[in-house]
Amino acid sequence: MGSLSSSMWIAAQALEADQGALDTTSNNIANQNTPGYSRELALFTEAAPTIEGNINYGNGVVLQEIQSVRDQVLQLRIGEENQQQGSAQAQYGALQQVQNLFSSPTQGVGADFTAFFNSISQLSTDPTNLAARQGVLTAAQNLATDFHSTEQNLDSIQSGLNKTVQQNVTQINTLTQQIAQLNEKVGQMQKLGQDPGTLGDQEAQLVQQLSQLTNVNQIQTENGLTLTTGNGTPLVVGGQSFALQTTAGPSGMTDISAQGQDITSSLQGGQLGGNLQIRDTVIPGLLTQIDNLASQFTTSINAAQASGFDLNGKAGQPLFTDTSGPGAASNLKVAITDPSLIAASSDGTLGSNGNLANLLAVQTQALPSGANPLDTYSSLVSQTGNLTAQTQADVTASTASLNQLNSQLGAETGVNLNEETTNLMNYQRAFQAAARVVTTVDALTQSVLDMGSGVTGAP
Amino acid sequence: MRVNPNYTPTILNDLWQQQTQEQTAIQELATGRRVNVPSDDPAAAAADVQNQALQSQVDQYLKNTNGLEGMLQTADSTLSSVVTALNQAISLGVQGSNGDLSTSNRQEIAQQVQSIQGQIVQFANASYQGSYMFAGTANQSAPFTLDSTQPSGVRYNGNTGVNNVEIAQGRSIQTNLPGSQIFQGAGGDVMASLQQLITALQSGTTTSIGAATTQLGTALNYVSQQRVFYGSAVSQLNANQTYLQQEQVSLQTQETGLVGADMATAATDLSRAQTAQNATLAALAQIIPQSLLNYLK
Repeated sequence: MGSLSSSMWIAAQALEADQGALDTTSNNIANQNTPGYSRELALFTEAAPTIEGNINYGNGVVLQEIQSVRDQVLQLRIGEENQQQGSAQAQYGALQQVQNLFSSPTQGVGADFTAFFNSISQLSTDPTNLAARQGVLTAAQNLATDFHSTEQNLDSIQSGLNKTVQQNVTQINTLTQQIAQLNEKVGQMQKLGQDPGTLGDQEAQLVQQLSQLTNVNQIQTENGLTLTTGNGTPLVVGGQSFALQTTAGPSGMTDISAQGQDITSSLQGGQLGGNLQIRDTVIPGLLTQIDNLASQFTTSINAAQASGFDLNGKAGQPLFTDTSGPGAASNLKVAITDPSLIAASSDGTLGSNGNLANLLAVQTQALPSGANPLDTYSSLVSQTGNLTAQTQADVTASTASLNQLNSQLGAETGVNLNEETTNLMNYQRAFQAAARVVTTVDALTQSVLDMGSGVTGAP
Repeated sequence: MRVNPNYTPTILNDLWQQQTQEQTAIQELATGRRVNVPSDDPAAAAADVQNQALQSQVDQYLKNTNGLEGMLQTADSTLSSVVTALNQAISLGVQGSNGDLSTSNRQEIAQQVQSIQGQIVQFANASYQGSYMFAGTANQSAPFTLDSTQPSGVRYNGNTGVNNVEIAQGRSIQTNLPGSQIFQGAGGDVMASLQQLITALQSGTTTSIGAATTQLGTALNYVSQQRVFYGSAVSQLNANQTYLQQEQVSLQTQETGLVGADMATAATDLSRAQTAQNATLAALAQIIPQSLLNYLK
């Protein structure tokens, strides 16, 4: 049977529920610009009814739960895209520096090759001319200097990346530590069937930051998240985080290990993966090609020198000191300082220029690596250009995709002020109405109390 | 359908892209180049390396051509002086074969021919920028010295080497004839003929003087034939110069096609990016104040 006190009680509960909903709305509005915040919903449900005979008395409303709106699948997709973007951006940043070394068609090793052969061509018009001979030595020196500085610049880009790799590892360790702390609490709440709310938001936000840095696998367990690297090395399990270690490798580059095992080569994706890709694959590949070019060019030129005679009538000595293996380009040096030692003559007579044709032939003959010196160099230009253009396209694509996904997630979980304002008005009206119910019931109760006291009517 | 209330990152990204386009267009306009770093067009950047190499090679070929032309012209005019001197010697020979002349007259003529011999040896020892032009490749010392022990009256110290110089890709030109071929060739030996004429004038008969003069005429013809080598080399160099200049122009055209910016397109791109940016900013300014709160009092 309905009673005034039960009406009063229903209204009081409604006030409480509306108060909670207003809190939620207020919290949403307050956090509308907080990164990673997911809007919260106040979920109302009907209170259990009282059944008397044929009558089912409703018992008002209960604020069942305040729930954060999430989309796990979308979050995972965003994580993947963050890895791609992080990797592409890191690679693009490094490759921009690399391609600058090959960007001038009128300077650098490529132009030096041509200048060197031009100086030999100039000498062929007057093979005994000392100024022209000095011109050949100067051009050879310029070539050696540019080989040296190209390799040095690649080396310093590589060691710069190495420092970034170390920083990335530090960032990863800090993040996994923070995630583990949050994860422990989130796990406990999940076990109790509670919505992790703000803590869940913060954890998801940190996992996205971690995804920018490296490829992270996420597994949802009843104890919260388990995070591993791409090849399964654990990073976070429950409330525990596992730090990655850095050790100096034999080549002077930093190796990354987990629990004593070297996992450098298995780390992919994210900024760390991108930096490692350039540091360990792209730059070493370029260095090998430049070293081969320097050493094969030296061998060919020296062989051509040896087939002729210098101004003293002696067999030609090496023009460049022989160089091979890693660092060959850096170590390239002009071996002679005396211009009369250039072996222009093919028969020992001073005025012969016959052997210069052999030196000039190096310009067009294929080196053992398959192409002539300039073609080999221009292939480096197109390689670095292609790689840079490709990663640039990757950055653009992953950024667009990430924007799209974030926008999708934002539509789902973002705070929409119009919606919140509407809710605010609804809850305000509901609160006011419930308050009016209280006033009304109060008046009715007064009437009941006044019954038989001679006082008639409500106050 | 819900929409993302936080549209600023998307719009900022759009603005960022528009600014990138704007900067690209400005850079193209400023440098006149479409390809400023290899990633702008990797294939074109690599082709540009080749193109620049070819251009600088053509410049070098032009230098070679101009340098050689000076030397070959000098050689040609030296041989022209040789021809003039030989003609004088022949006239003297004809004069000397006249039976009316006295012995002392002939001795006088012989002396004149001897001085012509000296001149011709000087011409044969002509040098260009420190190198003797008619010494083969042994060109650092004078190729001919007067030597009375030799039947021809001179000794050749040079060799028979020749030099070739590349004047265009795959095209070389021979830059000298050995002195032995010009002045002591099988088809007409200038030096020997001169010496014979001198000997005949000094102690021979009118018949022997006449025979020596005829022989000298043959030698003159032969030298003139050799001179054609230098003449044709000079005209070859002239033609080559024209060819190389055309090559320069065509390589420059090729370069522009490869990496040059299309100014009209770049300017259009720039104004398009600016328009897009203005529109985005205007839209942003319109959107931001819009909210339900504006209408609640």
